[in-house]
Amino acid sequence: MTGDPFPFLSRREALTRFGGGLGGIALASLMGKAATAIGAPAPFLTERPKAKRVIYLFQSGGPSQMDLFDYKPRLNAEQGKELPEEVRMGQRLTGMSGNQASLPLVGSPFQFSQHGESGQWFSELLPHTAKIADDITVVKSMFTEAINHGPGVTMMQTGAQIGGRPSIGSWLSYGLGSMNENLPAFVVLVTKGMKGQPLVSRLWGSGFLPGEHDGVRFNPDKDAVLYLNNPPGIDTTSRRRMLDRLEELHRIQLAKSGDSVLETRIAQYEMGFRMQASIPEVTGFADEPDSTYQLYGEDARTPGTYAANCLMARRLAERGVQFIQLYHQDWDHHGGLPGGIKTKCQETDQASAALVTDLKQRGLLDDTVVIWGGEFGRTNYCQGKFNAANFGRDHHPRCFSMWMAGGGIKAGHSHGVTDDYCYNIAEGGVHVHDFHATLLHLLGIDHERLTFQYQGRHFRLTDVHGHIVKEILV
Amino acid sequence: MKRLSPLLPILLAATNASAQKIEFNRDIRPILSDKCFACHGPDAKNAKSEYRLDSFEHATTAIDGVTGIVPGKVKDSEVHWRIHSDDSSEVMPPPESKRSLTPAEVALLDRWIEQGAEYQEHWSFVPIPKEVPVPKVESDWLKNGIDAFVLTKLQEKGFSPSPETSREKWLRRVTFDLAGLPPTTAELDAFLADTAPDAYEKVVDRLLASEASAERLTAEWLDVARYSDSYGFQVDGDRFVWPWRDWVIRAFRENLPYDQFITWQLAGDLLPDATRDQKLATAFNRLHPQNVEGGSVPEEFRVEYVADRVHTYGTAFLGLTMECSRCHDHKYDPITAKDYYSLSAFFANIDEAGLYSYFTPAIPTPTLWLPDAKQEAELARITGEIATLEKDLATHTASAKADYETWLAGHNAPAPLPEPIASHDFEKVVEGGFPNLVPKGAAAKTNANNVLVEGHRGQAVKLTGDDAVTLGVGNFTRSDLFSVSLWMQTPDRKARAVVFSRSRAWTDAASRGYELLIEEGRLNAALVHYEPGNALRVRTKEEFPVGSWHHVALTYDGSSRAAGLRLYVDGEEAELEIVRDKLTREITGGGNDTIVIGERMRDSGFKNGLVDDFRVYDRTLSRAAVKSLASGATTFTPDPDHFFTHHDAASLDLRTKLLAKRKEQSALVEKIPEIMVMAEFEGKPRETHLLERGSYLTPAAVVAPATPAFLPAMPADAPKDRLGLAQWTVSSDNPLTARVTVNRYWQRLFLHGLVATAEDFGSQGRLPTHPELLDWLARDFVNHGWDLRHLLKTIVLSATYRQSSHVASGELTTIDPENTLLYRYPAPRLTAEMLRDNALAVSGLLVNEVGGPSVKPYDVEFSFKPSTPDKGAGLYRRSVYTYMRQTAPSPLMTTLNASKRDVCQVKIERTDSPLQGLVMLNAPQFAEAARALAAKLVEQHGENDAALVEDAFRRLTSRMPDEGERAVLKGLLSEQQTHFESRPGDAKALLAAGGSAPSQTTQPARVAAAATLVSTLLNFDECISKR
Repeated sequence: MTGDPFPFLSRREALTRFGGGLGGIALASLMGKAATAIGAPAPFLTERPKAKRVIYLFQSGGPSQMDLFDYKPRLNAEQGKELPEEVRMGQRLTGMSGNQASLPLVGSPFQFSQHGESGQWFSELLPHTAKIADDITVVKSMFTEAINHGPGVTMMQTGAQIGGRPSIGSWLSYGLGSMNENLPAFVVLVTKGMKGQPLVSRLWGSGFLPGEHDGVRFNPDKDAVLYLNNPPGIDTTSRRRMLDRLEELHRIQLAKSGDSVLETRIAQYEMGFRMQASIPEVTGFADEPDSTYQLYGEDARTPGTYAANCLMARRLAERGVQFIQLYHQDWDHHGGLPGGIKTKCQETDQASAALVTDLKQRGLLDDTVVIWGGEFGRTNYCQGKFNAANFGRDHHPRCFSMWMAGGGIKAGHSHGVTDDYCYNIAEGGVHVHDFHATLLHLLGIDHERLTFQYQGRHFRLTDVHGHIVKEILV
Repeated sequence: MKRLSPLLPILLAATNASAQKIEFNRDIRPILSDKCFACHGPDAKNAKSEYRLDSFEHATTAIDGVTGIVPGKVKDSEVHWRIHSDDSSEVMPPPESKRSLTPAEVALLDRWIEQGAEYQEHWSFVPIPKEVPVPKVESDWLKNGIDAFVLTKLQEKGFSPSPETSREKWLRRVTFDLAGLPPTTAELDAFLADTAPDAYEKVVDRLLASEASAERLTAEWLDVARYSDSYGFQVDGDRFVWPWRDWVIRAFRENLPYDQFITWQLAGDLLPDATRDQKLATAFNRLHPQNVEGGSVPEEFRVEYVADRVHTYGTAFLGLTMECSRCHDHKYDPITAKDYYSLSAFFANIDEAGLYSYFTPAIPTPTLWLPDAKQEAELARITGEIATLEKDLATHTASAKADYETWLAGHNAPAPLPEPIASHDFEKVVEGGFPNLVPKGAAAKTNANNVLVEGHRGQAVKLTGDDAVTLGVGNFTRSDLFSVSLWMQTPDRKARAVVFSRSRAWTDAASRGYELLIEEGRLNAALVHYEPGNALRVRTKEEFPVGSWHHVALTYDGSSRAAGLRLYVDGEEAELEIVRDKLTREITGGGNDTIVIGERMRDSGFKNGLVDDFRVYDRTLSRAAVKSLASGATTFTPDPDHFFTHHDAASLDLRTKLLAKRKEQSALVEKIPEIMVMAEFEGKPRETHLLERGSYLTPAAVVAPATPAFLPAMPADAPKDRLGLAQWTVSSDNPLTARVTVNRYWQRLFLHGLVATAEDFGSQGRLPTHPELLDWLARDFVNHGWDLRHLLKTIVLSATYRQSSHVASGELTTIDPENTLLYRYPAPRLTAEMLRDNALAVSGLLVNEVGGPSVKPYDVEFSFKPSTPDKGAGLYRRSVYTYMRQTAPSPLMTTLNASKRDVCQVKIERTDSPLQGLVMLNAPQFAEAARALAAKLVEQHGENDAALVEDAFRRLTSRMPDEGERAVLKGLLSEQQTHFESRPGDAKALLAAGGSAPSQTTQPARVAAAATLVSTLLNFDECISKR
C-alpha cells in the first residue's frame, strides 16, 4: 500500500522479528503506528537524538518582532518618514496596506533593555521571558513567503502554504510513534475564547498520512477528547462489564475467523477504557501545589487559559507525549498595536517563561524543545493613519523573531541579524524549511529521509528544501 | 490496518525473475521510477543529469562516448557499473539522493539489460483492448467472468477460493455496499425464504433501484468531489451548494450513464440546449476551497482554484497526479508542465474572482439561478412586462419628437438646470466637514488630512488617498436613475485610483455598489453586484488628461445595462468600451451606504487628486444638462432627453411604471437562490499562462487548451473547451477513465482496488493485481453504455464477492497475507457513514427524507468551530446529509475515518483507534440509538432473555447467535439488569440519552440493561465490519 514504510515486511514477519504478541502489534498500530514500530532500524533515524519531545507555543497572528525582541532605535529616529524604496525593493505587500498612499515608519513605543549574562535584548513587555534570557536562543532572522494568515500558519505547521500536508506533530507521530500507550503522541491545546484570526483544524491534521497521526485536541471542557466520558447513566462498573463481554464476543469471533483484526478490536476498546482514566489524570491539576501557580500565574487555575495550557503541556511532557502544540491567537495588530500587544504579552509572558523554568527544574528541559513564535512578523511602517501613540502594523514575511529552548538548542544565544529598519535580513536567515529541518534533527531525524509516498511522490516536511541551522545547536 | 498487497506481485516476480523473462512494466519500471527517474526521468529540464532512463531511445544513446545501456551487453553498459560501484562518487543512486537499490533490484536490472533492455509503454496508457478474453477454466464455483480471472490466478499459484459465505452474511454485505444500510429482519426473512435461482439477483435489483442506493453512491462521490458546506480556508463561511449534492442523488437514482455523469459535471453548461440539471452538475468544479482572508492577493487564489480543478479532474477521472507537473515536468510520468497548464486552460475560462465577498453574502460568479416553479413563472411574467414597457417607451419616444418641438417652442427662456440632491463646492471647512449647498443637506465628512487648495473655481479638496470624504447621499439601487457631476484633476497617470464610490470595499465586498475609478489612466465606471461576473462596467477609450482640471459626469438610467451608463468629459460624451454587461442582481448592501470620495477600504485611493464642485442627482442628466454644467452655466436649453424624462406626461407615466416593475423584479430576484457553476467567459477567452515554478508571480508563455500530449489526441474538430475535454475523457480511445472508474468501485466493495493506488495510475502507482480482470471490467462497463448498476451488479453477483471472509490457515497466509489473490472476502470495517446510519436504522430513529439542506447532528457542537445542533429530524438523517464544515468537519465522522473533504479523495482510509471506540460507545447518537432499540426489545420480549438476546443479535448482525454468543449476551443482560436495579437514577439517565423523548417503560432497569446489550453489539466486530 502506498506509504507503508516497510512494504516488504508483512505483519506476520514483523511479529516474528519482535517476538511480541499480536496484541503488541495491535497496540502499535493503534497509538499512531510509528514507522519505527516494526522493522529495524528506520533509515531516517540519525545518531542519538538531542530531544525526545517538543512543546510548540504558537503565537497566531504574527507578533511584532520590533516591539518584543528586535531592538531598532533607527525606527524611532526616523519615525513618520516614508519607508525608503531601497529598503522595500518592490517586495509584495498585502492588500490591506499595499494600496496605502503612504507607508510611514513607526518606532517601538516600548523600552528595550539587555538581560542576563548573555545580554539579550527584550522590550519591557516581556519581563518574564527576559528572566530566561540565558536559557533560550532568540532567532531574529526567520523568514517565510506567505503574507496572509491562512497560508502563513499552514506553512509554519506543515511546510506548505496550501493545506493538505501533514502537520509537524503528525510527521513525528508517524516517524517516532508514541512513548505512552495511554495518551496520544500529538496533543493540541488551544487557548479558549480567543478572538483574532481563526485557526483551522487541519493545522494539526495528518494530511495524507494515516488518520491515526492526527493531532488530538484536548478541550478544557467536560470531555477533554471527543466523547471521552461515558454517557449519563453508565458508570465505570457497567462499562467495564460491557467491555469484558465485548471481548468475549470478539474472542469467539477470532477463533472462528482467524482474523487478527479482532485482536486490534480488543486492544482498541481496552485502550479507550484506559484513556478514560489517563486523560483526566493529566488534564486535572488537583495534585499541583500552590507553588505551581506562583510560577505560571494565577491564570493557570482557569482551564483553557494559555497559562493552564502551558502547565498542561508540562504534565503531558512528563507523561511522554511527543509533540504538544499550543495555540494562542490574536497577535494580529493591524491597529491599536500598543494596547493589543501589551494584552497578549500579559496573557503569555509569565507562563511561557514559567514552562521553561519548570521543565529545567524538573530536568526535562535537556530533552524537550520549547518553541515560541508566530507565522510571520509585522511591518516597520504604520498601517492606516499614522499616529505614534496608537498605530498598527501589517504582515511582514521578510523577517520575524522566534525563540527556542532546551533539547540541544544553545542557551543564551541570539541568531541572525536584520537591517536597521527591521525590514530585510542582514545575516543568518532561517527559512521555515530550515526551522523544520533543525527541529527534526534535534529529534534524531534526517529531514531528507523521513518521507511518505503519496500520489507517487516521496513527500517530506521540508519539501525539497531545508538546511539545519547548526549555529543554534549546542 | 495496513495492507501490503500491491507489492506482492513485485516480490514474487523478483524471486522468480531468474526463471522467467523480465517484463519491463512489472519488474523494471517500478525500480526505475522510484529510484532513478527523479534525476534521469521525464523532467529533463530540472534533472541533474543529461542521461535519461525513461525510454529505450534515451537509455541506449551514448552521451560523450558513454552508453548507459547496451542491450544484451551488461559489461558494456555504464548503468551496470554504476549500480555496482563501491565508489561513493560513482555509485547510482548517489548517497545524497537517500535512495538505494537492493541487491535483488540490482540483479533484476542486470538481467533486464542482458535480455535486451526492452521497454514497454506504461500499462495504463495502453488502450483498453476491444475484447478481453475470459480465461477458460472449468469450475462449478464460477458465477461470472470475474471469477474466471480470479480462479485462474489462484490455480496458477496452486490455491482455491474460500467457501461461499452464508446467505445472511452476503445479504448484509450487499445491502451495506449498495444501500449503505443494514438489511431489515423482514428483508432477511424474505431472502432466506426465497429459493428461486435468481433470489440473489432480485435482491441486487431491488437495492440498486432504491433511493438508499442513490444516497450511498452519492456519499462516496462527495469524497471525490471534495464536497463541503463551507468555503474553506481561514474564514470558512457557509456556502450554498447542497442542490448540487441533490443533483448527484438524482443522477444515481436515474442511473445516468456514467459517461454522461462525467460529461455533465465537466461541461453540462456547454451541451446543446443545456438543462438546468446539466448546468447545475458543473458546480462540481467549484467545490474547491475558496478564500476571503482580508489582504490576500486575488490572483494568487484564482490560480489556486484552477489548480484544484485540474488536480481533481486528474485524480477523479484519469487517476493521474497532475500536481507534480504544476512546478516542473513530472518526475515519473510523461506529463509536462505545458500539459498541466494546457489542461488548466479548460478550467480557467470562467468569470470568477480569486476572493469571495466578505461583506456581502453574494455567491461567487458564475452562478446558476434556482428559482422554484412559482418564482420562475413570476420572473417570466415581470420580465415580459418590463420588455413591453421598454418597447412602449422607445416607441413613444420615437413617435413623440414633435411633442418636444412643440413643448420647446412654448419655453423660450433657457430652463434652470435640475436640482442636485447634494452639492459640495469645497470652499470651506465647517466643523470638520464640507457644507452642502442643498438646503438642509448633510455636510460631507472628512478628517483634517484632506486639505483645501486652490481649485477649479475657488477652493477644491486635495485628497490623501487614505482619507475619505463621506457624503450623506447615494444609496441608489440598480433600478434608480442617478447622475454624479464633478470637477477633478489627477496629478499623475494612475494605475488605479478610486475617485468616488458607493461601496464598502474592493475585494472584501467584491466591489458591491457603484464606482468611478481611474484605471491604467482611463476613467472606469461600474455598477456591481459581484465583481467581476455580475456587473456592468465601462471605460473610456481615451486616457484622462493629467495635471489639468476637467469636468466629469456619470449618468445612469436604471436599465441595468451598460448602454445606460454614460461618462462625459468636459461636457462631451466619452467614447466607451464595455468591459462587462451582466448586472442581474442588486447593487445596494455591504455597508457604506453613501458616496465616499477619494478612498476605499484596501483599495488605492485618489492620492493627491483634486476634486471640486461635486454634485449628486437622483435623475439621469441629459446631454444638454451635462454640457451646460461643464460650461459653468446655471441654465440650459432642454434637449429631447430632458423633455422625455422631465416633462412629457406619457413618458413619465411609462417611466414610473417601468421603475416599479424593475423594483418588483429586483425584489423577486433577491429571493431566488443561486449556486456557483461553470460558464464560459463571454468574449475573448481568458489567457492561461504556463507559470514558472507554479507561481502566479511568474507567468510565462501563453498556452492553449489541450489534453496531455502523451495520451491519444482530441479529434481535430472537437471543441477546444470543457465539452471537448469531457468528450475526450469518456471517448473510447481514452485508456484511463473506464479503468480508473471500475477500479474505484471495486475498491469500494473490496476495500482495495485491483490497482491499490486508486489515485495514481501512473508510473509510481501500483500495478494491478489482476490486470486482465481490470481490463475486462472496464471494457464490459463501456460496452454496457457506462452502466454503473450493471458494473456493481456484476461484481456483487460474482462468486469472488460471495466468498467467506475467514482467514485461511496454512500456506496462503504466509504467501498472501494481504489477500491480493482474492482468495477470501476481505471484511472491511464499515465507513463512517454506514456506522452512524446503521445505528439510526436499527433503532428506528432514522428519518428517511431525501435531499435538502445539510443537517447538524449532535457532534457539530464539539467541532473545532462549534455550531448548534439541530433539533428533531436533523439529528436523525442519513450521514450523507451531515453538515461538513471544511476546516472543522464533523468530529464524529472524521474520527470514524470519513474523508475530510478538503481535497479530492479517492483512497479509502481505515484506521482503528481507541478514539473510535469512545465515540461508538459514548456519543449521544449511539447511546440514544441503543436505548431506543432496547425499549422496543423489552416491549416485544418482556422477561424472555433468550428471545431478547436473539432478536437483538439478529438485528445487529443479520444472523442468529451461536451458543457461546448467547451465553455471553445473556450474562451481560442479567448482570447489567442487576446493576441498574440498584441504580434507578442511572437507568433513568440512560433512558433519556439523546434529544428524543425518554423511553417510556415500566421496567427502566431492564431497558437500561438492554441498552448496554445493544451498545455492546453496536461495537461488535460483526456489526461494524462487513464479515
